[in-house]
Amino acid sequence: MNDKKPSVRAISSVAVFAAVIFGFTVLNRVLTPPVISQSERRPLATMPPISAEGIASAKFMDGFENFAADSFAFRDGFRTIRAAVTLGAFAQSDKDGLYIGDSGAGKFQKLDEKSARNVGRKIAAVADTLGGLNVYYTFVPDKSVYAGRYMPGFDPETAERILAEELPDSRYIDITGALSGGDFYRTDLHWSQPRIGGVVGCLAGAMGFEFAPMGAPVTAGTFSGVYSGQIALPLAPDVMEYIPMTDGVTVEYINENTLAWEPGEAYDTAAFGGRDPYDLFLSGSKPLVRIDNPAAPTDRELYLFRDSFGSSLAPLLAGSYRRVTLIDLRYVDSRVLPELMTFAPGSDALFIYSSQILNSDSALLVTDTR
Amino acid sequence: MYYFLPVALILYYAAPAPNGGTKWRNLALLAVSFVFYAWGEPVYSLLMAAEIAVLWALGLLIERFRGTPWSKAFLVLSLAVGLGALMYFKYANFFAVNVSALFGADFNLRKLALPIGISFYTFQTLSYSIDLYRGKARVQRNILIFAAYVTLFPQLIAGPIVRYTDVAESLGRRGHSAEQFASGAARFSVGLAKKALLSNTLGQLSSLTRAVSERSALSAWVYAVAYGLHLYFDFSGYSDMAIGLGRMFGFEFLENFNYPYTARSVTDFWRRWHISLSSWFRDYVYFPLGGNRVAPWRHVVNILVVWTLTGFWHGADWQFLFWGLYFGVLLVAEKYFLAKPLARAPAFVGYIYALLAVLVSWVIFDAPSGPEAFAQAGRMFGIGVRSAVDAESLYYLRSYAAPLIVGIIGATPLPKRVFARLSERFGALQPVLIAAALVVCTAFLVDGSFNPFIYFRF
Repeated sequence: MNDKKPSVRAISSVAVFAAVIFGFTVLNRVLTPPVISQSERRPLATMPPISAEGIASAKFMDGFENFAADSFAFRDGFRTIRAAVTLGAFAQSDKDGLYIGDSGAGKFQKLDEKSARNVGRKIAAVADTLGGLNVYYTFVPDKSVYAGRYMPGFDPETAERILAEELPDSRYIDITGALSGGDFYRTDLHWSQPRIGGVVGCLAGAMGFEFAPMGAPVTAGTFSGVYSGQIALPLAPDVMEYIPMTDGVTVEYINENTLAWEPGEAYDTAAFGGRDPYDLFLSGSKPLVRIDNPAAPTDRELYLFRDSFGSSLAPLLAGSYRRVTLIDLRYVDSRVLPELMTFAPGSDALFIYSSQILNSDSALLVTDTR
Repeated sequence: MYYFLPVALILYYAAPAPNGGTKWRNLALLAVSFVFYAWGEPVYSLLMAAEIAVLWALGLLIERFRGTPWSKAFLVLSLAVGLGALMYFKYANFFAVNVSALFGADFNLRKLALPIGISFYTFQTLSYSIDLYRGKARVQRNILIFAAYVTLFPQLIAGPIVRYTDVAESLGRRGHSAEQFASGAARFSVGLAKKALLSNTLGQLSSLTRAVSERSALSAWVYAVAYGLHLYFDFSGYSDMAIGLGRMFGFEFLENFNYPYTARSVTDFWRRWHISLSSWFRDYVYFPLGGNRVAPWRHVVNILVVWTLTGFWHGADWQFLFWGLYFGVLLVAEKYFLAKPLARAPAFVGYIYALLAVLVSWVIFDAPSGPEAFAQAGRMFGIGVRSAVDAESLYYLRSYAAPLIVGIIGATPLPKRVFARLSERFGALQPVLIAAALVVCTAFLVDGSFNPFIYFRF
């Protein structure tokens, strides 16, 4: 160093720079990084194993950089800073597609037309195997459709057109008008079960089933939905409510190991406290679920091909059908369905998928062999 | 930044420096620089090491046989080694594909990954060999110092192109001070903020507007402006970081940018953009070709050759050749026709002309193909669009209005002037801004998707 006495500004600048650079490096080594990001609901990258092959191929370096970003000290705090700068200081309308609007937080994603067309083809392939059934289909518009301002996101009209082209022999039920932004949770992508009476009414009108008025909702508790963690800004939690089932209604799940039907619950309050509170409804992701209602006004059955939105919808339909069977093609291959169940002729089949599924056709385990 | 840089600084400043000597510190710098390069290019680091050894040895031979034809032969050999490696890794596939297409042959050449920074460090080593032959540089007899120069990590992979003569003295003896380190830290923080906050954000905007479903004139303009700013803050941000890191390690690199978007002509723009590259081509290609001290037709040829090569330096693809030629034609036009009218015209005419010319050039530069380059440039002027404005681009324009305005203002000298004035009154401003920049940039790096510097691919 030179002998000239440095200025206070220089010393303080060096001190600040060193404190930040060295301080966080030390903290990153000292603090034990979490394995899972609760706010983002995803596993965090771990330190990659060191090997000569990994170094020569640079896989170790790539893995380390992911680990360094994921394990950074006070990561959630830094994510909040980024969100505040992006949505606050820069006043951007969204951060990586995530926005905060009148109906809370959401994420706009454009419709992947190629994927939507493939989903249509997959639905058609399954529908072809449902001879003698009345086949209906619909999709749940993304929450951003109701954001109340223009966003380059999901386009329900294009989705409807594409599906109609691929499903000429099935009947489309438009539920877009039966929903509003307020029907979705403010911090989550899902709809709130007590708010979808309009959707059920819409389905009832099109499919010709009786729909009794819903009972009073019961509160499961408060929760912060997936967008709350993704947007990384403090949002008031949502209240999750559900409509209790009438007495005598039973729920069964198929055991994925034994392939035997086992009793379950329509509202799994234990699952509500788990990683995804929406698992309250029919315990979340299950390949096959059936809800039996001996007191139903009809002997008709409904086969509901669905994703997570269907989990909260099905209990509301159980009052109108003798049996509602939920089939989640993300977890059961359509080719093995005939081995697991039989479809009663004259019954109804409803395919209902969210915009997320329309944009990720590979999620559906359907092989179009037509 | 949080693992490599602290270790590099500790190793460097812990290395003994008896009587101000730089031997051990150069060694520390070489070690960390090599690790830095090997981190991104584990295999090609061996290529770089081999090139360094060969070019260093050829440098000794150029000096040893000075005054004889052998000296020139060894210069030619060193140029062949440096340019040969560059040609093989960067251009061989381009030539194979085009020769195959031209003659219907089938040169089945395996496409090679481009070693990071090869265009930069090749030009650095060439400057050493040429300057040594010309007697402008003294031979470096210590291979470790030569290797430290070539691998100097702050500017190794994306410039500025530091000539050996610019740092030769510092490699032998250099001072370190808190003032210099603080200045480097401030400059590094500015560069980081340019990259992490502005370049990446505006890069998002350019990507979004390039992919809109309904192409309009608005989408073309927003894309062009966003991409131009994205490129500027990306590259000048890296140069700022390199200059800042250089100061932290006792070096003073030359400036690489001087507010290029305030240029009043294309000639002026290239005096302000990537200065180390344009001056390299000027000194090592343009002047040896005769520069402007030749017949007009030869002068025009010289300009076109230099700018075609400048384009080709940026990438082995036709659109880069066309991009370079585009600037060559504009520069010829300015030299022979436009210089006087531009000088007489009001200043704003020059600004608008230069900005327009440069924005169109970036559209060519970023285009995935030649036809797409023309199509995108045409959209800017209403050719091939269905409407002047589309809702999607309008949304993006509104959403990104603040970063765009910050970017436009940030591309002028205004922020620097304001900071200088405020800094005089408030001494604590610099450390506060350094802390704020580091923390906010860290937030963007931790939460953002990985965005490598654009110039890494050159």
